[in-house]
Amino acid sequence: MDDILRHPSMHVAVEPWDYNPSAWRQRIPICLLAMAACLIAVYMGLFQWGLIGSVWDPVFGEQSAKVLKSDVSHRMHRWFLLPDAIFGAFAYLGDAIFGLAGSTRRWQYRPWMVILFGLDVIPLGIVSAILVALQGLVVGSWCFLCLVTAAISLVLVWLAYDEVWSCLVFLHRVRKRSGSWRTLWHTVWGRPSDVADEVARELVREAR
Amino acid sequence: MWPRVVEVMFGCWLAISPFIFTHPPDQPLLWWNDLGCAAVVVALALASFHPRWRRAHLLEVAVGAWLIGAGYFAAEQPPPAATQNDVLVGWLLLMFAVIPSETNRPPAGWERRLRSETRD
Repeated sequence: MDDILRHPSMHVAVEPWDYNPSAWRQRIPICLLAMAACLIAVYMGLFQWGLIGSVWDPVFGEQSAKVLKSDVSHRMHRWFLLPDAIFGAFAYLGDAIFGLAGSTRRWQYRPWMVILFGLDVIPLGIVSAILVALQGLVVGSWCFLCLVTAAISLVLVWLAYDEVWSCLVFLHRVRKRSGSWRTLWHTVWGRPSDVADEVARELVREAR
Repeated sequence: MWPRVVEVMFGCWLAISPFIFTHPPDQPLLWWNDLGCAAVVVALALASFHPRWRRAHLLEVAVGAWLIGAGYFAAEQPPPAATQNDVLVGWLLLMFAVIPSETNRPPAGWERRLRSETRD
């Protein structure tokens, strides 16, 4: 069963890198970091739920509680039915489990998974980091742990973009080579074709 | 199969959660909703182990969407703990349900290609 997972073609570098961005050594650090951020977010969520009475902040002291119990966050809780920190926790958990799912050649075999992972890590990560940065201006207070998770978001973007990039290069070339949106569609969902096979081989050959 | 195992655990949690957070006793439908969704989630996750129903887990997306949607329709303000729990489990189900079962292997089509190539 495991012979396929040990097959050399599962562990090759891909254009434009000199390594395989889908390798476990690339993905596991992302998952660990995302899980750490998820735990921090859950901790802040527990405070917003009122399940714990105070929140740790070595830098801004009482300001953290002001941010987490601000009018904005109360309004979010009413709209979305869950505290905003819990949604942050969902996003980081998503980063971790979409990072864990897929083979070491998923940039070719399951592009939809890499794209889903990329959407969760990159646009969502950047937007949430911007929102956290804005809290100081809107609420007038700062929250140390929020800033820590925002920093983790940005590190995750930096760690994850290589795989998304290779995947998009692969899809772009499949679309150009085949001239068919249909082939692109099948490739995105992980269905093999001669064109996709050929393009993937090239990308591996061109890797630095 | 790890996503399926986690989903069975979500199902079990959903089944015991009305007894932990309690819905109002005059609204038995809310109790049955949690128990029913729990049964469906566990059934779909286990069915996915059978080759014939290997994609059954995708239907859990509907259960997740239902739990979130029902939470929004039923929500009083502030949202009761039981409703928040339903919405929470709904989001978790949406996230896990889309992950394929044999997720660390290539999809069947690519794996077949790889195998035929190895044989040559």
